Amino acid sequence: MRTTIQILQKIFTQRFYIQNTGFFLVLFYLLFGVVDGGNLISYHTSLMKGFLGSYPFLLIVLLLWGLYGLKCVGFMLKTFQLQGYEFLYPTMGSIDKRARQRIWLLLHTAIYMPVLVYAGIAAGVGMVHGYYLPVAVIVVFNVGMCIWPLLVYERKLDQPDVLFFTGHLQRWLNKHFTKPPLLFFLYELFTNYPRRIFSVKLFSAGVLWLTFFLLAQMDFDLRGLQLGIILSVLLHMQLMLHHRSFDDTYLNFVQQLPVPLWRHYIRLTGIYILLYLPEMVMIIVNAHGKISLPGLLTCFAVAISLLVLFRCLLYFRRIDEEIHLRYVLLVSFVVLFMILGKYEWPAVLLLQAAAAIVFLTKYRTYEP
Amino acid sequence: MNTTETVIALHAVKKSYQDTPVLDIASLALVPGIYWLQGENGAGKTTCMKVMAGLIPFKGEIVLRGNVSSRQHPVEFRRLINYAEAEPLYPSFLTGRDLLELYLNTKGGDRQRIAAISTKLGIDAFVNNPVSSYSSGMLKKLSLLLAFTGNPVLILLDEPLITIDVQALSVLYDLIRSYSAKGVTFCITSHQPLDPAELTVTGTLKVAHKNITLN
Repeated sequence: MRTTIQILQKIFTQRFYIQNTGFFLVLFYLLFGVVDGGNLISYHTSLMKGFLGSYPFLLIVLLLWGLYGLKCVGFMLKTFQLQGYEFLYPTMGSIDKRARQRIWLLLHTAIYMPVLVYAGIAAGVGMVHGYYLPVAVIVVFNVGMCIWPLLVYERKLDQPDVLFFTGHLQRWLNKHFTKPPLLFFLYELFTNYPRRIFSVKLFSAGVLWLTFFLLAQMDFDLRGLQLGIILSVLLHMQLMLHHRSFDDTYLNFVQQLPVPLWRHYIRLTGIYILLYLPEMVMIIVNAHGKISLPGLLTCFAVAISLLVLFRCLLYFRRIDEEIHLRYVLLVSFVVLFMILGKYEWPAVLLLQAAAAIVFLTKYRTYEP
Repeated sequence: MNTTETVIALHAVKKSYQDTPVLDIASLALVPGIYWLQGENGAGKTTCMKVMAGLIPFKGEIVLRGNVSSRQHPVEFRRLINYAEAEPLYPSFLTGRDLLELYLNTKGGDRQRIAAISTKLGIDAFVNNPVSSYSSGMLKKLSLLLAFTGNPVLILLDEPLITIDVQALSVLYDLIRSYSAKGVTFCITSHQPLDPAELTVTGTLKVAHKNITLN
């Protein structure tokens, strides 16, 4: 027989790690994949000593851990608002308060665990090397990050109101501006899942910033930037899965509208152009004077083509997150080698053709 | 039956969920009128409506007015059929006006007529609010209003009588009568009997054993 905590871990912990597989893959790559295996321990020890010995650096690290903590809290709160999860209110609300707080703590620490593990090792390294005050700061910070969310969860249980904008500005906008279908998904993200889009954009910007930083150390190579772009596109996988689920749940009625297929396809492409717009601006600003206009267009074409194809793959019947990830990685590797061989435009054409074929053949026959 | 009079004709329509067949309709043709679609819970009424509305994929073909095929003219097909769900669900951040504009922009139709219906149903009062603030009755009224947009020849109403108030029910009966008089066909599912004093039903469609029969 399953215990309450086992069931709740399935609802919260397992879903969290499954939904964030792409995020963790990129994170692990950045932390462990960019360094030669033999130097991995010394690299991380130096990194830890770096932030233990410098308070500005430590502040940045704590800020990143804090953002991850917010992501965890956001995930827990959003789960309560998901359709079909309303049963959590009467069930968790019936548990004795002390037992419930213990459950909150277990669930929260389980998803906050990657930070706790890294912070724990850093604290150990700090103790060995005599950085007692920074270690104390790390311990207090992380204990705090495990405690305050419990109060938020308790409050959520007491006040299960759904969040939506009712401010004057939003009401004015609602009255004077009609949302076009192109913006539906962006509205969904910004109104109901702001942390999700902000965290994806933050990490995507981080990858691009790192790419430009590394490229500045050597002769600028467009292919290097395109590799960074592929990684930043991969970070958007979580949003694509969300997009599919949003379409399945709420935009069923759109299929009944008398709209030609090509317009649906244009809308889909438009959504991903808008979604990738911040990265495009960042690339333009950072690549100013280093890349020609055709080079920039090549980069954008690669990014948008990958995004659209990865989203279109989700129109295949019964494709789950794991299978989708496999195809996405396979396509990414093929595109990477084509880019290395300077076959960027053939790659773009192939991606565009594949996306259009998948969409045009699958959209009308797709069934959640 | 003269095919030019036929509003909708289903030919070898089959629908399965995974490997479980739900519908297997060899042939069905309806002339203009008001039809009451009956069936037990789980018989396939909603699936049938979704298939007719082009919302879910199926095998076979559906033809409207003898010449608009679900396969060959998917856009025109969707222009001629409107569908109101039993339990409508829309993105929480959209307002009623957002949805109304979307339907009017794609399906077309007389804006003034829709505005008049909106007023009669009392939707004006909340049309600028996000649908997340709507009660189930308000949401139902909005979905019914959307079903009357455009210039449909067939309107599918899935359980339209539930959750709406008595006044809105009277407006709905009125609308069905007036649209029907203009030649629009209605297919209505309801577990409650349709009031014979309000509506004269042309025929009863029974969904059972994966098939639909017209009585």
